[in-house]
Amino acid sequence: MLWAALRFPSSDATPPADDALHGPASWALQYSPRVALLEEAVVVELEASVRLFGGKRRLRDRIVQEAAALGCNSLAWAPNSLAALMLARAGVDSGFRQPLPDILDALSMQVLSATAPHLTTLMQLGCRTLGDIRKLPRGGISRRFDKALLTALDRAYGLQAEAHQWFVLPETFRTRLELPSRVETAPAMLFGARRLLVQLCGWLAARHAGTTAFRLRWAHDAMASRSAGEGGEISVRTAVPMRDVEHLCRLLAENLARVALLAPVGDLALEALDVVPLEEGSASLLPDDQAQGESLALALERIAARLGPECVLRPVLVDDHRLEWAQHWQPAPLPMPRKRVKPTTTPQPTFVLPEPLRLTMRGDRPLYQGPLLLLTGPHRVEGGWWHRVGPPGAHETRQQVRDYWVALSEHAGVLWVFETRLAGDANAWYLHGSFA
Amino acid sequence: MTPSTAPANDPHFATVQPMLPGAVQPLVWRGAELGGQATPVRSSGWPALDRELPGGGWPHRVLCEVLSPQPALIEWRLLGPALRAVAAGGGQIVVVAPPRQPYMPGLIHDGLDERRFVWIRAEGPAQRLWVTEQLIKANACQALVAWLPQARHEQLRRLQVCAQAAEGLVFLCRPEAAQHEASAAPLRVHATFALDWELRVRILKRRGPAFDGTLRLPSVPGGLASVLTPRLRRPGRLLAGLPSSKEPADVVGRPALPQQRRHAASR
Repeated sequence: MLWAALRFPSSDATPPADDALHGPASWALQYSPRVALLEEAVVVELEASVRLFGGKRRLRDRIVQEAAALGCNSLAWAPNSLAALMLARAGVDSGFRQPLPDILDALSMQVLSATAPHLTTLMQLGCRTLGDIRKLPRGGISRRFDKALLTALDRAYGLQAEAHQWFVLPETFRTRLELPSRVETAPAMLFGARRLLVQLCGWLAARHAGTTAFRLRWAHDAMASRSAGEGGEISVRTAVPMRDVEHLCRLLAENLARVALLAPVGDLALEALDVVPLEEGSASLLPDDQAQGESLALALERIAARLGPECVLRPVLVDDHRLEWAQHWQPAPLPMPRKRVKPTTTPQPTFVLPEPLRLTMRGDRPLYQGPLLLLTGPHRVEGGWWHRVGPPGAHETRQQVRDYWVALSEHAGVLWVFETRLAGDANAWYLHGSFA
Repeated sequence: MTPSTAPANDPHFATVQPMLPGAVQPLVWRGAELGGQATPVRSSGWPALDRELPGGGWPHRVLCEVLSPQPALIEWRLLGPALRAVAAGGGQIVVVAPPRQPYMPGLIHDGLDERRFVWIRAEGPAQRLWVTEQLIKANACQALVAWLPQARHEQLRRLQVCAQAAEGLVFLCRPEAAQHEASAAPLRVHATFALDWELRVRILKRRGPAFDGTLRLPSVPGGLASVLTPRLRRPGRLLAGLPSSKEPADVVGRPALPQQRRHAASR
């Protein structure tokens, strides 16, 4: 067993709030699932993770380095968690250099919290170190003091098994950050939001999950005028579950670019709205095999975040022979219909105009950048009486009766024009598309 | 000095070939021969055009500029065969700011797949450039066709630098007037159509010697090949007689008589 104890003592010698330990405990979960909170320390059992992280020495170096960044001021290693905590309190960093009882015997008895209620009595008995207490008869200790002291001693010396309540990640993610200075523009909030996103992605990694939606709230600082209100919020959604800090940051940046702050902001909060399990792609053995760049879905998502979802479109074919209804466009992330429409075999244009363009006539010949030569036709498209739009009672149908022709223009290429009947006897020619 | 390294279409090559030792030969490029394309290429679909493009097809990793007299005139006809190969290989095709709405039933005739097609509507030159650059940088689509009528040459250079890292095809469709401006795109092609089901392609810029001629590539768009009668295979002649003659020309192109039309519509 390889236990590490990381102490985070608070400045005023009171036990730290549990919340203060939650951050380091979440961080420690990336090394081992066996993480527990023990008094003012986070203890981690790492024996099973040694090989994964490249050996004891490298794992130790990495943890020492990162723990310092988290604000841990004493760290110790021992075969059990209580001994590790005691060593950390005494300032000894390793419990493996000598047999554990020899090291512990020399420590001051105050490092064991179970001695605290009996400290005066023990001092009067002449005990100074843990070794002195151990020399007292066991029966006497259990009668004179309480069972807790004996149990704690046995656990620290490895004579009795320990039981831990393992640290479990919170089910929901919600964290806040007080900004070091007031932020006046929305894009500048990204600096603080990024730190929250890093925590979010760490939390997601430990849960093997990705997020599809998260919400950033900001609170205006106390000096804001009353009319500005409390603050604001922005929700960001992703097409696929995601826990890549960079991508989430860029999405947030695109969204924040459109926000105008009503007042300076002093406080940020980040909340994960939707969390779904995420299966990560395996790393490849061969370096060339890995795809460079990002997937199309991510790129389109970023573009849609700036231009709006109605600007990034995929076509959906519909079984209809009227040109306007034979296809429609839907935002790219939406799923495509499973059933595929059989494509038509008749010639169809490759570009269409949003609205048919009425052509001017010379005699009975339509003009578009010069006279048109009608090549083949007519291709009669008639129908749509079933297609009603508008409120019931006042609806109108989208019926069409059109004769389509393939026309050739000297300058405009091959065109798709139609002739239709207007009110009365009049006919009209329209340009509807082109065979580009 | 293997014969396979010599371009087949260069008659001068054989005469100068023996002067260089074998290991040096592939590294030497002569001004008279077509530039070799270090990047992969994709066939354009016309052997005549492939012969004139460096490397034998549309190059990947560089910008290809397609200039045409009008937008929405020849784009799919020219790029269709290459895009068809991209779609057949399962590649995604993204079009940025086309001048008109792409119509999928017609594009399916060209071999495109509606499930691998994305249309991005971008307004304004800045937005079009931004979207194009993002897509090139993301390196996620196998073919990108962007209409950039107002791009300036420093903007194109920036795109070209990005495109060197991208693996897909990048086509920029621009107006004919841009041929007088400098451009960083290593391949620039001017294309227009001729009446008799042809594309006329001039290569304005390529890696290699300048190309003076005009390529005539047969092309019938959008499934029309199945409905063309022998008479309609040369519509240029029909159109030539059209505008001057006041009386109705006796061609298929003449609309049917008004009485018949009314009859057909009222049926």
